[in-house]
Amino acid sequence: MKQKQSLIVLGILGVALLALYFLPLIVFAKHILILTLFYAFLGTGWNLMCGYAGRLSLGHAAFVAVGAYTSILLFKEFSLTPWLGMLVGGVLAVVVMLLIAWPSFRFGLKGPYFTLASIAVAEIVHNLLVYGRDITGGSLGLSLPYVPTSLAQFQFDGKGEYYLVILVFWLAAMFLTIKMERTRYYLEAIREDEDAASALGISVNRNLIISACISAFLVAIGGTFYAQYFRYIDPYSIAGFSLSLNMALVVVIGGSGTIFGPTIGAFLLIPMTELLRMSLGAQLPGLHLFLYGILLVACVIYLPKGIASLPGIIKAKREKKALQIQQTSEGVQ
Amino acid sequence: MLLQIIASGLLLGGIYALLSVGLNLIFGVIKIVNLAHGDFLMMGMYATFFLFTLKDVNPYVSVLIVFPAFVLIGVVVFRVIIKPLLGKAETEVNTIIATAGVGFVLQNLALMLWKSDFRAIETNLTGKSYEFFGVLLSAGRTWTFVICIIVALLLYYILMKTKVGTHIRAVSQDTDAATLMGINVNRIYTLTFAAGIALVGIAGSIITPTFYVYPTVGLYFNTMAFIIVVLGGLGSFTGALIGGLLIGLVESFAGVMASAELAQVFSLLIFLIILFVKPEGIMGKGARV
Repeated sequence: MKQKQSLIVLGILGVALLALYFLPLIVFAKHILILTLFYAFLGTGWNLMCGYAGRLSLGHAAFVAVGAYTSILLFKEFSLTPWLGMLVGGVLAVVVMLLIAWPSFRFGLKGPYFTLASIAVAEIVHNLLVYGRDITGGSLGLSLPYVPTSLAQFQFDGKGEYYLVILVFWLAAMFLTIKMERTRYYLEAIREDEDAASALGISVNRNLIISACISAFLVAIGGTFYAQYFRYIDPYSIAGFSLSLNMALVVVIGGSGTIFGPTIGAFLLIPMTELLRMSLGAQLPGLHLFLYGILLVACVIYLPKGIASLPGIIKAKREKKALQIQQTSEGVQ
Repeated sequence: MLLQIIASGLLLGGIYALLSVGLNLIFGVIKIVNLAHGDFLMMGMYATFFLFTLKDVNPYVSVLIVFPAFVLIGVVVFRVIIKPLLGKAETEVNTIIATAGVGFVLQNLALMLWKSDFRAIETNLTGKSYEFFGVLLSAGRTWTFVICIIVALLLYYILMKTKVGTHIRAVSQDTDAATLMGINVNRIYTLTFAAGIALVGIAGSIITPTFYVYPTVGLYFNTMAFIIVVLGGLGSFTGALIGGLLIGLVESFAGVMASAELAQVFSLLIFLIILFVKPEGIMGKGARV
C-alpha cells in the first residue's frame, strides 16, 4: 500500500472508531474495545522491530513492565503525573532495549538465538521485580493510589476517557509506522538478505537499533496505560511470558510486517477471547487460551503471512483460475 | 557444608541434564527450537502423577509406560505441526511460534482438565535420605539422578554405536550428503523428534516424586533447559550433560548465598553473555550431536 492510501485508510478507521465513543455501549463492550485497541497498539510497537526486521522477540513484556512500574512508582513516591512518568518509563525501556539490542545486533544474533536472548531478558526483569519486593511489592505487585477523575493525573472513573486515550495512542503509533516508510523498506531488505542490504549501502545495525528503540518506547507507553487502566500491576501478568506471547500472536495472526496486520489481528482475536473468557471462563478456565493456541498453530501452518495476506492469496488464485480458463478455451480453438 | 552443597547441586544438575538432552537432540538434528519442551515435561509429570494416584504405579516404573506414549505423541506432533513448516524461508521463526503455540495449548489443556492446583505424590521414598560420609542425599533425588545417568549413557551408546545413531549423526552433520547416502532424512527427523519428546516425558516421570506438578511448571524448566543447552553448546550432547551439572551447582551455591530469584538472574546473565560473546562458536557447533 502506498503511504497516501494507508493514511486515508487510517483516517477512515480513526473516524469510525471515534464514532464508537458516542454510541451508548454497555461497559463490557467498552472494556473489550479498550483492550482491543491496547493490543493493537502493543502489536504495532512489536511489529516495528519483530515484524519488519524479522527479529522475533518473545520478551517484549519486559518493556511493558518497565513502563508500567516506572510510571506507577514515580506517581506513588514523587506524585509525578503519569503523563510524564510514561515518558520516563519509555526512555528507561529504550535504555534496557539498548542493553540487549546493541550487543545482539553487534554480534549478529539472529533467528532462534535472538528469540532466546529476548526471553532471557524478560525473565531477568521478571525475577528482579520479584526480588526487589521492598520497592516493587514483589509477587504481590503494586496498586495505583486512587484519585478522582483527573486528566492531569491520567485517572478516570469512566471507561470512555480511557478509550479516547488509547485511541489517540494507537493513531499515533500507526501514523508513525506509516511515516517511517523508508525505514520499513530498509528493515524488510535486512530481513530478506542482510548482506545484500548492507552491500546496497543500508546501515544494518543503525536501522535495527532505531526500530528496536522505537518499538520498546511504544510498548513501554502501553505499559503505563495498562497500569492506569487496571490500577494494579504484578510481575506475573505484566512481565510474564504470556503477555509477550500474546503481543506476538496478535501480530502473527493479523500479518506481521504489514501496517494494518497488528490491528486486524487484535480486532479479530481480543473480542473473541474476551467473549469466550466471559462465557466459559468460570466453568473452564483456560479454554479461551487453549483455542487461542490452536488458532495460532493453524495460522502458522496454513496462513504463515497472516490474515492481511488473504486478499493477495485470493487474488493470486483467481488469476490462476482465469489463466487456466483462458488456456483451456485457447486449447478448444 | 561445602560437600553438601556440591552434592545437592550435582543431584539437581543430573535432572537438568536429562531435561536438556531431548531439547538439544531436536535442535542438533532438525535445527528447530522447541519452545514447548517444558510443557511436554509437565505432561509427563501429570501422566506419572495420575498413574501413581489412580493405578498405584511407581513413578520410576511409569517410565515404561510414559516413554512409548510420548514417542507416539512426538510422532503425531512432528507429522501434523512441524513437518509442514520445514524447508521454507521462514522455518526458524515459524517453528518457534508454532511450538510456543503448542506449549500454550498444553498449559491451558492442563488448566482445563486438572485446574491450577499444586499436586505432589508421596511415595515410600518421600522424606527419606541416604547418608554418605556425612553428606545427606534425598532418596528421591538420588534415584532420579541414577536413572538420569543410565538414560544418558543409553542414549550415548545408541548415538555412537548403533546404525540408527550413525544415521542420526549423519543427518545432523549434513542433510544433503545423508540423503545421497540413502538415508531417509524424513524418517530420521520423525524419530529424533519423537525421541526428544519421549526423553523429556520420562524426565517428567522421574522428577514427579520430588517436584510439585501444576500447569505452568514447564515454564521454569523451559528456561533452565535453554540456559543449559546454550551453555553447553546448542546441538552438543556432552555439552548438555556438563551444562546441566554446572547449572545445578551454580543454583545450589547461589541459592545458599543469595535468594532463589537472584540465582536465576545469575544463570540468565551467564546465558546472555555466552550468547553474545560466543555466537559463532555456538552456532558453528550446531552440527554435532
